[in-house]
Amino acid sequence: MELQFKNPSFFERLKSMLGVDFYRLFHTPLFYIFLSIAAIIPAMILGTTGMEEGVAPMYTNTWHIIAGETPTYVVNSIAEYANMNMVFIFGGIMVSIFIGHDYKSGYVKQLFTTHPKKQDYMMSKSITCAFAMACMCLTYTLGAVAAGLLTGTSFEVNVGSLIIAIVSKMIMSLGWASLYTFLNVIFRKYFGISIVSSFFFGTGILIIGAAALLGESSILNIFLYGSSVYACLTSNFDTLIVCSVMSIGWAIIYNVLGTALLSKSDVY
Amino acid sequence: MNAVEIRNLSKNFGQKQAVNGLNLTVPVGAIYGFIGENGSGKSTTEKIICGLIKPSGGTIKLYGKDYTDIDVRSKMGVLIESPGCFSNLSVWDNMQIQAANLSINNADEEIRRILKLVRMEGAASNKYKNCSLGMKQRIGIAMALLGKPNLLVLDEPLNGLDADGMRIMREVLVDLTKDGQCTILVSSHLLGELQKVATHYGIIRHGKMIKEMTSLELDKSCRTYIALKAKDMNNTVLTLKDKYSRVEEDEAGYVRIYDNVLPEDVVNYLYQHNILITEIKTDKISLEEYYIDLMNQKEVR
Repeated sequence: MELQFKNPSFFERLKSMLGVDFYRLFHTPLFYIFLSIAAIIPAMILGTTGMEEGVAPMYTNTWHIIAGETPTYVVNSIAEYANMNMVFIFGGIMVSIFIGHDYKSGYVKQLFTTHPKKQDYMMSKSITCAFAMACMCLTYTLGAVAAGLLTGTSFEVNVGSLIIAIVSKMIMSLGWASLYTFLNVIFRKYFGISIVSSFFFGTGILIIGAAALLGESSILNIFLYGSSVYACLTSNFDTLIVCSVMSIGWAIIYNVLGTALLSKSDVY
Repeated sequence: MNAVEIRNLSKNFGQKQAVNGLNLTVPVGAIYGFIGENGSGKSTTEKIICGLIKPSGGTIKLYGKDYTDIDVRSKMGVLIESPGCFSNLSVWDNMQIQAANLSINNADEEIRRILKLVRMEGAASNKYKNCSLGMKQRIGIAMALLGKPNLLVLDEPLNGLDADGMRIMREVLVDLTKDGQCTILVSSHLLGELQKVATHYGIIRHGKMIKEMTSLELDKSCRTYIALKAKDMNNTVLTLKDKYSRVEEDEAGYVRIYDNVLPEDVVNYLYQHNILITEIKTDKISLEEYYIDLMNQKEVR
């Protein structure tokens, strides 16, 4: 009997990979836990730093916990650092756990047997994790708004810039998710190192260090952390373009690197 | 056409050569029993076929195409070492994930069919981590069977299964290959179980294929023997050893005579020595015994 084999197209392959990843994302508590964390963190920061009597609140405007007033790469106070960019730190941990479970459970055996094209894996993970992080940006915003209402912190802002800043940070999720996917592919056999490395890059410490040496230079926007900082409360349409270009650019770079690494090495 | 055709395959892990010039041929529709001791290179070979590890050399063809071809690989089912399931998800969710992986349109219906096949329909809502070892193994097999694969690669699929589970698995495997649509490469240390279903065998040692044969060829290669029981077994063994060169006692309490001799000659001989035979039969050595013999021969060489 003649056997018929169907050659699945790139889109069919990606669709099935995304089907796997989104099904997992929505059916595991991990996603919902991190959505909650993203909402609780700004509420906790704004609540605890704004309610102490006799102490000047760290944030005089609720939206400062979303983004800085201007792009500030050199960090002088915690208030300049602690904003929505923190989502990319928690996001890194979430991505490490999400991808780490592929290897820990042994599911990659099934996945890579039927999906020999490693680019499908990289793309699917990047897209799914970017979606998760973008959702975390939204719950972070909700948490910040709730805390602002409770503490009575000012909501004064240029709405257009605020929306651009939030959307730009959500777009940056793709670049960050691709970086974390790549890191997890490198350290796939070492779950702990994956988490630590994701956390390390997520803090943006390298860019903050570079900024301390170079000063407030716009050249730092070519990096993920730099362009994430660039999305601030004085953002305009240019910010959206810079963030989109950088996010997609880095996503392509990390996807190509991850694909090459997976294609050239033993995956399990 | 062969379902799997491997030529001169090698795989090195640093200085260690796990697979060394292996040749393997699995005809379409076969149940290929892949046999070898621990560390002989079975799992490594299976992982290479599945694209999980890169070969150091050699060629692999699946249905005449390179083993990296998407079209062939998308119709493969696999169970390597243990089922790749997410422990916090239910059996049903794990099956759904695999169904999504394989782009199965009528996923619910297909999952129900497969779970029924492996007698796991009642455990669909159980969390995977709460399942017993045998149940986990059935789930792993169920995942491999999803989407009617053309090529199944099963590494120790019978581990942890009870007698009923093994019987079901045997039936499933035979049923799958009945119409020639599915080919199965299965490795197992349970050679007795393997012998009940395999149509072809490959015996691997130190990363090399030392013997490939069909079940008919195995049957011809297996030595025949006479097995008997008598009232005084100790005396019987001693008496038989006086005349025959290869007399052994087996685990079931029989005395086996491997010499090329007729049963009536043995009966007459024991009768002359006043030994009363209670049971006598002729049989062939099992796959397990054949395998041990083969390994011993290679060891001597």
